[in-house]
Amino acid sequence: MNRFRRQLFFGLFALLAATAGALWLNAKYNALPNYAYLTGWALLAGMFVLTIYNVRKKLPFLPLGKSETWLQIHIYLGFFTTLLFLIHLNFRAPHGWFEITLAWLFVLVSGSGIVGLFFSRVLPRRLATRGGEVIFEKIPALRHALKTEAETLSLGTDTKSVVIAEFYTKRLASFFTDPKNFWKHIVESRRAVNALLAELEDLRRFANDTEKEKIEKLTALVRQKDGLDYHRALQLALRLWLFVHIPLTYGLMIFTALHIVLVFGFSGGAR
Amino acid sequence: MPAAPTILERPQRWDAAFDANMTEDDVTRLLFTAPFSKMDAEKFPKRTPLREIIRNDMRILKLRKGEIIMRQGDYGTSAFLILQGAARVVLKPDLPPSLLGRQATNKKGIFRTLAQLWNGSRPAEVLSSKLRGENSGLGARQEDDQVHVFLQDVPRVLDKYRTEQMTTGEFFGEIAALSRMARTSTIFADADDTELLEVRWQGLRDLMKYDDALRTHINKIYRERALASYLRATPLFKNLSKEQLATVAEAVEFSTFGDYDWSGEYKRLAQSGSVRPEKEPVIVGEGDYPNGIVLLRAGFARVSQKFGGGERTLNYIGAGQIFGLNEIAHNWRKKDAPVNFQFSLRAIGYTHLLIVPTRVMEEIVLPSLPKNELPPLIEKREDDSDSAPPETAAREKVGAEVLEFLTENRFFNGTATMVIDLDRCTRCDDCVRACASTHDNNPRFLRHGPSAGRLMIANACMHCADPVCMIGCPTGAIHRESFAGQVVINPATCIGCKSCFTNCPYDAIRMVEVRDERGELLVDQEMKPIAKATKCDLCVENHGGPSCERACPHGALTRMNLNNLDSLSKWLKL
Repeated sequence: MNRFRRQLFFGLFALLAATAGALWLNAKYNALPNYAYLTGWALLAGMFVLTIYNVRKKLPFLPLGKSETWLQIHIYLGFFTTLLFLIHLNFRAPHGWFEITLAWLFVLVSGSGIVGLFFSRVLPRRLATRGGEVIFEKIPALRHALKTEAETLSLGTDTKSVVIAEFYTKRLASFFTDPKNFWKHIVESRRAVNALLAELEDLRRFANDTEKEKIEKLTALVRQKDGLDYHRALQLALRLWLFVHIPLTYGLMIFTALHIVLVFGFSGGAR
Repeated sequence: MPAAPTILERPQRWDAAFDANMTEDDVTRLLFTAPFSKMDAEKFPKRTPLREIIRNDMRILKLRKGEIIMRQGDYGTSAFLILQGAARVVLKPDLPPSLLGRQATNKKGIFRTLAQLWNGSRPAEVLSSKLRGENSGLGARQEDDQVHVFLQDVPRVLDKYRTEQMTTGEFFGEIAALSRMARTSTIFADADDTELLEVRWQGLRDLMKYDDALRTHINKIYRERALASYLRATPLFKNLSKEQLATVAEAVEFSTFGDYDWSGEYKRLAQSGSVRPEKEPVIVGEGDYPNGIVLLRAGFARVSQKFGGGERTLNYIGAGQIFGLNEIAHNWRKKDAPVNFQFSLRAIGYTHLLIVPTRVMEEIVLPSLPKNELPPLIEKREDDSDSAPPETAAREKVGAEVLEFLTENRFFNGTATMVIDLDRCTRCDDCVRACASTHDNNPRFLRHGPSAGRLMIANACMHCADPVCMIGCPTGAIHRESFAGQVVINPATCIGCKSCFTNCPYDAIRMVEVRDERGELLVDQEMKPIAKATKCDLCVENHGGPSCERACPHGALTRMNLNNLDSLSKWLKL
C-alpha cells in the first residue's frame, strides 16, 4: 500500500471510529446535565487545533513536524468537528440571529475547506496533464509578451492584410489583453477556444499564402494564450478558496468567543 | 536564397591557455627543470608537443609564506610542482574549518531558533555586523586577478598541528586532479617567494600518456595511497585475503574518460538541445569482448543499447557501481556459450574508472564469491526482444521518459535534488515562503524548472556528488559541511567573485546584494554594492531537515538522491 493510500485508510478508519464513538457517547450521555458544555468545549478544542495549523504554516523554521501530517490531521479533524458541531446543536436547527450567523460561519468554513480539499486533489493533476507549467506571478508578463507578438503579427507595419487586421481588432485583441474563460477552464470546457480557432480557420478562405502563414502563427499564439489562461484559472482557483476559508475562520473564532461569553454571562449555563 | 553560413575556425585544444602570461623564457626554463628535463620530447606527438603542453596547460604561481595552496575537502583539477621554496602539508587532524575560511556549522539552539519569530520583519539578505567583522584567522591579498588567501598565524599552526614540509621538486595534488576526488590534505606555502608550477588536468593527462616515468610514478602512488583502501571498501572484494587484494590492486588499470570541464560544455550543449548519447565518449561498446569489469571511481556513465539509428538509455551508474560483472561471471560459468558486453557504457561529462582484468576476475575474485552472490546467467537476447536484463531495471522503475530526462539533464549528479510531483503540487508556494523565512527573508530556490510528465526538478542546489561549484573558490567559502555532506557557503568569507555562480551547470547559485541591519546596501570603497553567493543549504542549521520539504502540505516535494532510482521509483508510485 503506498503512502497516500495508507494515509487515507488510517484517516478514514480513525474518522469512522471516532464518529461511532461520538454517536455512542451522544446516545448514552445526551440526557446528562451540562452535556452541552461538554460538547461545546470538545468542539472548541477541535476548532482550536484546526486553527493553529495556520500558525504552524507561519513558523516553518520551528521543528513542529511536517505540514503534511498537520494537513492530514486538519482534514480528518475537520470532518469530525462537523459531527461534533451537529451533536452540539443536538441535531436541531439553530435559532436566533446570533446562533444562525455562527452556524452559517461554521458551514461556510467547513464547506470552503471541502471545496479546497477537492480542488487540491483534482486541479494539480489537470495542470500537470495540460503541461506548459508556469509560475502564477509571471502570467501577466507572459500574456503581455503574447499580446505584443500577436499585435505585431496582425497590425505591424509590414502587415498589409485587412482580413487579419480586422479579425484581430474585432476578435483577438480582447482575447490577448485579458485573462479569459475562467469558468470554462474550471469545468474543463474547450468550447470557447475551439470556436475562436474555428473562426481563425474560416479566415483562411479569404487569405493568400502569406496571410495563411500569419494565420497559422496566430493560431499557435491563441493556443498558447489559452494554455496560459488555463493555468491562471486553475492556479487562481487553488488560491482563491483560501481567501474564503481563512478570513471566515477568524470570523468564526470571534463569534465563538462571543458565544462562550454569552453562554456564561446570560444563559445561566447551558442545558 | 539561404544566408551564407558563419565560418569559424574549429575550436582547438589550446584555444584558451591556462595562463596567457606564460612567456617563452618561462617555458624554456621549465624544459630544463626536472621532471620535464628528463622527459623525451620525441615521444610526444606533433599535435601535442611537450613544449606546448608546458606553455598552455601550466602556470607559475608565486606565493608568500602561509598562503594556502589547497584545503582538505576542496575539489580541484590541478596538480602542483614545487619549483622553488617549500610547502607544508597538514597531517591529520586537519586545521579547523574556521582557519580555512569555512563555517563551523552548528544546529541553531533554542534561542536562535525562537529569535526567528521576530527576525521575520528584517530586510532581506542582511549580513550582520558580527559576520562582517568575523576574523576567521585568514587574510587575503590580491595580485593581478588572483586572490591569495593566507593563514594569519603560521607559527601557531606549526605549534599546534602536525605538519610536514615538502621541498623543491616535489609533486602533489595529482590524485585528486586526475580522479576528481576531494583533496585529502591542506597544504600551504612554507617560505616567502615560493614558486609553484600548477599543471591543469589536461596537461597532466597528456604528460602521463607520453612519459613512462611520470605515469609509473603516479600509478605507483595511486596504488599506494588510494587504490588499496578503495578496493578494501568495495563489497565485491570483501572475501579476498590481503595477498589476493594486493594481486588485484597490482593488476587494476585506471582510466579517465570525458572532460573534467564538462559543466561549461554541458551548458552549451543543453542550450542548443544537442545532448545526445551518441556524442559521449565510449568506455565499453555493446558487443565488445568483455576484457574486464569496470568500477566507477568518480563521475557518471550511461548504460545504453542500440535502438534504431541511435542509443537508448537503460540506466546510469555513478561512483562505486560496477559494469560488466554479469557478462564476465556468465563467461566464467558458461565457457561453452560466452557472451559479449550486452550494452554500451559511455562517459557522461567525465568518468574516472578502474578496470579489473577478466583473468584476475576469473582466477581470484569470482571464486571467492558465494554462489548466491553471483549474478544470474545471461539469457540469449533476441534482437527484437524488449526484455530487460537486471542492468536495465532502472528503465522499468521510473519509465523511459523520466530516465532519459534525468540523464539528459544530468540530474543524477544531485544527492539532495528538489523533486516536485506536479500531480500533487497545488502551487501554493508554502515551500518558497518557508525557505524565505528560514534564510534571511529571501528564498534560496525557484519553484520552477525542467519537467517530464508529473516530475519537476526545481531550480535548487542539488548538493552534487560532483560539485563543480567548489572548484576554484579562492577563499574556501563554498565547502562541504562534512565529508560528502551538504555544500554550503560561508557568507563571512565569500568575496563575491562569482566563481561558484559561473561554474554551477544547473544555475542553482545566485548572487545577491547584501545589506546592513537598517536595510541599506553594503558598498565597497568605489560605492559598488557588495554581492555574495547564496544557495540552498538544506537548512543545515535548522532542526528537522529542509524547511521546504517540511512545509509542503501535500507531500509533493522531496529532497532526493537521484543516483538512487529506487527511492525515486518508490516516491513516484505513491
